[in-house]
Amino acid sequence: MISLQGVSKAYKLGDTIVPVLRGVSLEIAPGQFIAITGPSGSGKSTLMNILGLLESYDSGSYRFWGHDVSTMTDDQLAGLRNQRIGFVFQLFNLIPRLNALRNVEIPLMYAGVGTAERRHRAQIALQLVGLGERMDHTASQLSGGQQQRVAIARALVTDPEIIIADEPTGSLDSQTSHDIMALLQTLNQSGKTVILVTHEDEIAAYASRIIYLRDGEIRLDHQSTT
Amino acid sequence: MVKSDWITSPLHKAATVYRPTFTRFWLDSLEQAMFALRENRLRTLLSILGVMIGVLAVIVVGTVGKTGRDMVFAEFQTFGLNAMWIYRFWGEQHPFASVPAGSGITTEDVMAIRAGACCPAVSRVSPWVYTNPWEVLIRVGNRYSRIKVDGVDVDYFNIVNEEVKYGRLFREDDIRDRKPVVLIGTKVQERFFSMNSNPVGESIRMGDIRLTIIGVLKNKDRQFLSSIGAVAYDVNDRIVIPYSLYQQVLASKDVHTLVAEAKDTSLVQSALQQINSFLTRKHGGKYAYILEDMQTWVETANRYLRIITVIGVVGAGVSLLVGGLGIMNIMATSVVERTREIGIRKAIGARQKDILSQFILEALFISAIGGVLGLALGLVVGLIASSTLGISLMPPFSLLIIAVGVASLTGIVSGYYPAKRAAAMRPVDALRYE
Repeated sequence: MISLQGVSKAYKLGDTIVPVLRGVSLEIAPGQFIAITGPSGSGKSTLMNILGLLESYDSGSYRFWGHDVSTMTDDQLAGLRNQRIGFVFQLFNLIPRLNALRNVEIPLMYAGVGTAERRHRAQIALQLVGLGERMDHTASQLSGGQQQRVAIARALVTDPEIIIADEPTGSLDSQTSHDIMALLQTLNQSGKTVILVTHEDEIAAYASRIIYLRDGEIRLDHQSTT
Repeated sequence: MVKSDWITSPLHKAATVYRPTFTRFWLDSLEQAMFALRENRLRTLLSILGVMIGVLAVIVVGTVGKTGRDMVFAEFQTFGLNAMWIYRFWGEQHPFASVPAGSGITTEDVMAIRAGACCPAVSRVSPWVYTNPWEVLIRVGNRYSRIKVDGVDVDYFNIVNEEVKYGRLFREDDIRDRKPVVLIGTKVQERFFSMNSNPVGESIRMGDIRLTIIGVLKNKDRQFLSSIGAVAYDVNDRIVIPYSLYQQVLASKDVHTLVAEAKDTSLVQSALQQINSFLTRKHGGKYAYILEDMQTWVETANRYLRIITVIGVVGAGVSLLVGGLGIMNIMATSVVERTREIGIRKAIGARQKDILSQFILEALFISAIGGVLGLALGLVVGLIASSTLGISLMPPFSLLIIAVGVASLTGIVSGYYPAKRAAAMRPVDALRYE
């Protein structure tokens, strides 16, 4: 499903070039629950952005369902992000002026789904994450955990194969963090591939495969047997 | 937890390229634009106000210009659009050549033109005899005044559209018998008689001659720049007597100006040429003539007024431009403020044109609403001005269409650059923006 071969990426900081990823190779099969971990500066965020089609890479190859990502146009990438990937961010990233239902509807709007079906599907997604009662609340009227649930509903609503979660519990207390992780685990069990980026071992423990990154290289790729 | 078919559906979807329908796309973009505009009501309102003032200025200035032209045109028309004036040209004399005396036009010439053989394009003709106004002393009772005296024929009144308020115009026998009759202007009536009573039958003295008033000429509105050429004096402040009588008083057969009317508006120029060549031939080329006609004056005045109007509208257009710059400023600020939102939208699947259309529609909405409000206000101002000033000051329809069209165009143009910048943002950079 996802295949990275020797992917490298460097940033330019003034005159110096800072390598962030050094020849990362990675295969991800459907249905996996992967945690990408590592200290800050290890390149895990960059790897996640590349996997999520948000950022380009300098060398190597990335095949997404067998298609070479480097040949795709911006709009094609936008289409893939819309249909195949759902994003969950540390800061929830809801659009503040819109209520929960409207926020969840947006990916469907960009997919060209009609208003009635859009609403129906957004309602189901919100019920799925346990927020059926708060659909008309805006972000400021919801707790952090609730906002993250709305974000998960938004990630789910186009029925993507992959959920990418970037430090999804980074802004939450521990009880809420476990609720959110339990939700992601449930989604994985229903067939979604979940890619989680975290620096907390406790959170990474929810995943069945842990990739440890350091200095832009994969140092450890551990598949649990359970 | 609710289970549903689509959440757990098989992983293989038919297509990754999606296409909303045209209508769906624009409706959704408009909805998103509306949400954004509603979030910052004050800012939206102020930008709308900026465009509104610009459109209002364009409409008001354009309307005033158009109305002014219409009024001047209407005023000129009171003289008759087919009217012409022919008089001697005195310039360009050789210093040692003997200068021929006289006006170069005689009563016989006028009669020959009236007979029609020479000048088929001419329908009416009248002699016009006059002197400088200070040369004639008029007395009524024991009051004196120096007033312009015109000596004309019966046809004169038809050519320049003169009518009487009281009494009657000249008849053929007044002219033939050189009757001591006089028509007076309203200003003369005001000066010597009461404006409320009919002065017909009263008499005034011009030198030794006692003239009987047979009528008062209807007032002609003189508010604008119609005082040019051969009619460059107040026609309401004069007395009119038979030309034959005036020639007798002046002891001359001269006609100072020949007043004529063309058979048709399209024949004015040929009529002038026919008269000119007839007079030149008749007098053996001794005199040159100045040819004037109402059409040329109207066109000249119109041209100047149009230039003034255009300058005014361009000036008002600057305020519309400022309104447009206001929109651009606000959109640029809005794009920066919403960088993160743009990143989120792009991450969850917005294409460039999704972002572009949303921001352009925000700008278009501001300018279109501003344009319509400016238009409405322009109509209200027009109505109020019309009723208070007593003249029709309604904006012409074409101006309304143009003003709103230009306003909307301004919105699109000024919204495009910020929108383009928003659409071109890389999602990862936008998401990192704090």
